[in-house]
Amino acid sequence: MSAPVSETATQALQEDAPVEKPPRGTPWWANQRIGLLLLVVLLGALFGVLRPAFFNQQLVIFPLLRDIAMFTVVGLAQLCVLSIGHMNLAVGRMAAFSMMITGISYDLFHLTLYSGLLVGLVAGTAIGALAGWVIARTGVNSFVVTLALDFLLLGMIPLVYTSLTDNAAFVVKPPGMRELRNYSLADVCVGNVCGSPAVPQLALFAVVAMVVVGWIYSRTRLGRELLMTGSSVRAAELSGIPTARRVITAHAMSGCLAALAGFMLAVSTGSIKATIGEEFMLPSFLGPILGGTLLAGGFVSIWGTLIGTALTSVIRKGLDLLGVGLESLNIYLGLILLVALSTDRVRTLLSDRSVLGGPPLTSPPPPKREGEPR
Amino acid sequence: MTVALRRTALCVAAFALVATGCTTKPADSPSGGAPKDDASTGSSSGPVTLKDGSQVKLALIPGGAHPYFQPWKTTADTDKTDFKLGGVTFNETGEWDQGKQNNVISSLAAQGYNAFGIFGVSPTDINSTFEDLKAKGFAVGSLASCPAGDTNAADFCLSTDVEAAAYKAAKATIEAIGGQGTIVHLTGNNVDSNTQRRIAGVKKAVAETNGKVTELPVITDIDKDLSTAQKAVADLLASKGKEIKGIVTTAYNPAVAAADGVASSKLPIKVVAIDDDAKILSGIKSGGVAATVTQNPVGQAYVGGWLLALLQSKQCTMKTPGVIVDSGSFVVTKANVDTYDDERKAKTKTLQTDFEKQLSCQ
Repeated sequence: MSAPVSETATQALQEDAPVEKPPRGTPWWANQRIGLLLLVVLLGALFGVLRPAFFNQQLVIFPLLRDIAMFTVVGLAQLCVLSIGHMNLAVGRMAAFSMMITGISYDLFHLTLYSGLLVGLVAGTAIGALAGWVIARTGVNSFVVTLALDFLLLGMIPLVYTSLTDNAAFVVKPPGMRELRNYSLADVCVGNVCGSPAVPQLALFAVVAMVVVGWIYSRTRLGRELLMTGSSVRAAELSGIPTARRVITAHAMSGCLAALAGFMLAVSTGSIKATIGEEFMLPSFLGPILGGTLLAGGFVSIWGTLIGTALTSVIRKGLDLLGVGLESLNIYLGLILLVALSTDRVRTLLSDRSVLGGPPLTSPPPPKREGEPR
Repeated sequence: MTVALRRTALCVAAFALVATGCTTKPADSPSGGAPKDDASTGSSSGPVTLKDGSQVKLALIPGGAHPYFQPWKTTADTDKTDFKLGGVTFNETGEWDQGKQNNVISSLAAQGYNAFGIFGVSPTDINSTFEDLKAKGFAVGSLASCPAGDTNAADFCLSTDVEAAAYKAAKATIEAIGGQGTIVHLTGNNVDSNTQRRIAGVKKAVAETNGKVTELPVITDIDKDLSTAQKAVADLLASKGKEIKGIVTTAYNPAVAAADGVASSKLPIKVVAIDDDAKILSGIKSGGVAATVTQNPVGQAYVGGWLLALLQSKQCTMKTPGVIVDSGSFVVTKANVDTYDDERKAKTKTLQTDFEKQLSCQ
């Protein structure tokens, strides 16, 4: 589910433009996402051999998948603004803001679990749209605007929590929240056959987010316009795309997904507190960038975000199980990521060499498109 | 290639679903629930000796790296030797994030650890973690911090009463400044329920002076690291150094920074610190620090380990699950700086006696 920008603005706006075939001769193993996926599987197998407990469904796989699901949504939140070549440094604080509104709705207005979630999603969308509106109106870099918004929320959120709560957290748990935290697909049965106890129900939120975001970027005019805006704002404007509105849309989508990730974190840890999202910023970049989404905009990869997130989560979980101490855990994490990315580069070089050294192509390959991941 | 990738990804997703496996719903079985407690209800008298700790693997898990918890590491080894436990570990890789700490805990459980002494990162979240562990049949103790609110889902909580400790520290500050003047409170993360309790403890002591002592706005969020605390102290002394007569600190880094800052500024400010870092103790000896309030991390790890082993080996059960016991806090001044540790060791012994009254043992 990856969505490159089309070659020209006109093509980009054609809803049913034919899918362009990749150049023939490029081996399947040269694809970045497949390489990362293989790496995840190999690392999983390696950790499993070294520590068979790695395959413990209840104690390892279940929390691992819950983490991957949550950080994938965090990654998607960043991916939306990366698609237009922007950044959202306030992704974590947007999650905290949205969950603050959700917490108020549970605590003061006694809303149900999903009504509160809906309120949080609306709040996230609104704060994201506000960031986008400021960027579009002022022309100030998204880095600066979202950083300023981050500081604003950093000051505001604790004030609200301390004035409304005793323990700087909304501890009211609406019915269903505890179950959502612990239930797996084993609790979903058709007749006598139930799902896997290793897959948390919370992961379904990530699946829905991936499907919706993937559909927007690969199947809709809006998605193509967003990618076009990311690829070249000027070209997009000349093609009649309302780029200012697309900037607001991308940031609103980012805020909405940040809110969803905040909800998943609140459910999986147990309460809605001011510190929600503090750990979101780095993982929000890590997943999409590892997965092939471009920082410069114009290309996104939803599957890549999932796989990139899974890679870091699997490495961390494996190192946890191997009993690696704090002093060396982050060193190993960094080293493995470095090796993974170097391997990826070597694979690309080998692929280029095999294409160049192989039999002549029946037709010359099309030129490298702007925004194509390398 | 995009289409091929999509197909591959779908195949992998399908494979992953199959690999994780479907299950068949067993007839008339609940999906979860805590195991039944099968210990006897015999009442104990005198010290309880652990009969067999070989099946107990104890994990002591702070929220992250912090000097306060370093005694836990050595005390875990003492627990292993004294109680002949099957294994012990000390894991500080939680990095002050509740999600990461939960992952560390579940990974240790997967490796066979079955008794957990935990300092929860988030007092408002940690009960959910305790509930998860209890539901899987593990013994759980909340060490050095209790969950926020009225409920403790762990078997017990052995912690400093942070509000009482802050109250003691504020009283010591008020006494040091002669009962009147302006004081300021330096502490940690504002959005932490323990910080709120510390703030309440200091305010209570100030309120008891009927206006003779006033408190400047509390300075929070400066326990992240020493340099953050040093900067805050330098700013405070530069702007209000002449106005302040006393500084009460209820977090580690602000305590060290205040002791250093006041000493180098040569202002006549009385500092009351927390914990017994070597710098603070030398400050007490030299007179630069008026007093410090020390806690009992060794007692928490030693008595907590003993209790968890009794519970996990099923030799004992708690009469009242979730009971909260104060592990003690001790005001140290120049007068008792050389002997305060004896007081602390004595408290650790009485803790075992206090807990014995809470146990039903075979």
